[in-house]
Amino acid sequence: MKIKGSAAYWMIFPTLLIISIVAFFPLFKTFYDSFFSFGLRPGIERKFVGLENYKNLLRDVRFVNALKNTIFFTVVSVSIETVLGLIVALIVHQKFTLRGIVRAAMLVPWAIPTAISSQMWRWMFHDQFGIMTRLWERIGIITPGTPILGRPGLAMWAIIFVDVWKTTPFMALLILAGLQVIPEDIYEAAKIDGANSIQRFFKITLPLVTPTIAVALIFRTLDALRVFDVVYIMTRGAVNTETLAVYNRHVLMDRAFTGAWFGYGSAISVFIFMLIMIFAIIYIRSLKLRLD
Amino acid sequence: MKKLATLLLVLTAIAVGFSVKITMTSGGVGKELEVLREQLKMFKQLYPDIEVEVIPMPDSATERHDLYVTYFAAGEKDPDVLMLDVIWSAEFAPFLEDLTDDYDYFELKEFLPGTIMSVTVNGRIVAIPWFTDAGLLYYRKDLLEKYGYKNPPRTWDELVEMAKKISQAEGIIGFVWQGARYEGLVCDFLEYLWSFGGEVIDEKGKVVIDSSQAVQALQFMVDLIYKHKITPEGVVTYMEEDARRVFQKGEAVFMRNWPYAWALLNSDDSPVKGKVGVAPLPLGPGGRRAATLGGWNLGINKFSSKEEKEAAKKLIKFLTSYEQQLYKAIHSGQNPTRKAVYNDPKLKEAAPFMVELLSVFVNALPRPRTANYSELSDVIQKYVHAALTRQMTAEQAIKNIARELNFLLK
Repeated sequence: MKIKGSAAYWMIFPTLLIISIVAFFPLFKTFYDSFFSFGLRPGIERKFVGLENYKNLLRDVRFVNALKNTIFFTVVSVSIETVLGLIVALIVHQKFTLRGIVRAAMLVPWAIPTAISSQMWRWMFHDQFGIMTRLWERIGIITPGTPILGRPGLAMWAIIFVDVWKTTPFMALLILAGLQVIPEDIYEAAKIDGANSIQRFFKITLPLVTPTIAVALIFRTLDALRVFDVVYIMTRGAVNTETLAVYNRHVLMDRAFTGAWFGYGSAISVFIFMLIMIFAIIYIRSLKLRLD
Repeated sequence: MKKLATLLLVLTAIAVGFSVKITMTSGGVGKELEVLREQLKMFKQLYPDIEVEVIPMPDSATERHDLYVTYFAAGEKDPDVLMLDVIWSAEFAPFLEDLTDDYDYFELKEFLPGTIMSVTVNGRIVAIPWFTDAGLLYYRKDLLEKYGYKNPPRTWDELVEMAKKISQAEGIIGFVWQGARYEGLVCDFLEYLWSFGGEVIDEKGKVVIDSSQAVQALQFMVDLIYKHKITPEGVVTYMEEDARRVFQKGEAVFMRNWPYAWALLNSDDSPVKGKVGVAPLPLGPGGRRAATLGGWNLGINKFSSKEEKEAAKKLIKFLTSYEQQLYKAIHSGQNPTRKAVYNDPKLKEAAPFMVELLSVFVNALPRPRTANYSELSDVIQKYVHAALTRQMTAEQAIKNIARELNFLLK
């Protein structure tokens, strides 16, 4: 049966409507607001300022710093997660007893809401009775008495550590799905031709799983660029761990009624949106993904 | 008989017709929520026609602030009665019902002066003080006695000396406080600043923090950690509960905290039960002492209907009455805002330190009262924390605070 074009449009119309209300409208509104200077306190005049908010972004030391932190966090955490995720996926792709249970258990960190796991980790990093603090002291990463979340430099690594712990399973799961669709007979053919396991990995597994890794990378990068909860709960942006989203919350919430900051806050939101878009385009271009 | 039945029917109809439903936000720290529900049962008996629904709030004041921002920005009609931190009055004033004309109705002349100051914005009353808070020094009575100290420290120098001696001999921590980058850090910092003779903003609204006293006060906080080594470096990640847990496990000699800690430190499963004393915070070099005023007020949502506002006033009057403040103080350990309650023998029995330290609560100083307080607080948090984590010197931090505050308040 063939459905005519117009009928198809009518069928997707409800979906489009809902997406417009919950996604496109707020997006458009934020865009629009970012060209104004205004606050939510009654009596603050709403003024059109054009690109002024965006110009101010680059002069805002705190914003530039947050941008640097965000990029650092994203690059480091996503790289580690991808490598670890691939290794974990390769392991659980093998046949061994209790594989099902291991695959399910692996997902536990991912299943715990970030707000809760971050609080849990904050306690584990406590300088007096934190188990991670003790462990790191034993291994010799830190000297006794070092407050992990209160040390510039170290705190960011602790946050990355927690993020890696949480999202490696997600990476592993996606990559595992990619591994499972590689047909077994290719490997058999390679074996007959005399390819060793390293050659099989680099010539067969890696090229065939690359599109999946790319998709996983996009997901993770986009998530990492707007990281909020893990940072906000563990350090509130102290000791140079403030990311764009944490700074954005400060401008939109703490300053909502204090002055004409809402337009500026919207500009930060739009910036984050653009940043994510640029990353997505770079990925799609460089990995030659086909999005159909 | 028939007449009576008719009368009853009519009365019920009236009651139902005129009954009002109001909503109220409340925190749920410790026994707070439980106690409030008991109080509301008593209220229901007095005013059967008013129904009150409680909306519990998150524990963190910052999260509560964000929630209110969303309510007000959207012009929400609910909640009608709002539990407000003392520092929010000026910021939220445009969204709160003006209660200046109800000064006598709420008997505000009976309240502690500091608490009234915290609800006054440009001469208008915008909320009613519900319970008050002030920074206190908790100390280990048993340990001080063991090392021959009869009294808690009078000055900061004495505290350093005692803490050093006892903590080294016992192998525990000397002094814990709140050093994480959040609102609590501002409270702690102001206590040092004031006791060293400094101030953030003077009466004329001029920024006066760039002073040698301020630098000394901040330097003293830094020295507690790195020079005297009586405070662990980890204090830069501590909020109230982190400090309390360390102290309650018996691993610290002194702690700066709010009154709420008393009941928990003396609970049955506490290792330091009965071994804890409470004193005013020590004097600074200039012979001045200071405690930061904390506490919560009750305000009325400006967007509520007239009937709801009337009912809300009755509820607030009830909750801030003498009897109810006494009840709350005894059952949830939150300090009354009415002076007279402190003379009540029942309070003396339940929480002796509240009565003994009345002068601390009377003299507690409010944080700067400006509409953009949260911005001001953020600046102080940022630089004080940078000094405590040695990312800059105390002098640089104070200079930076002064520069940014001048920019904010101009």
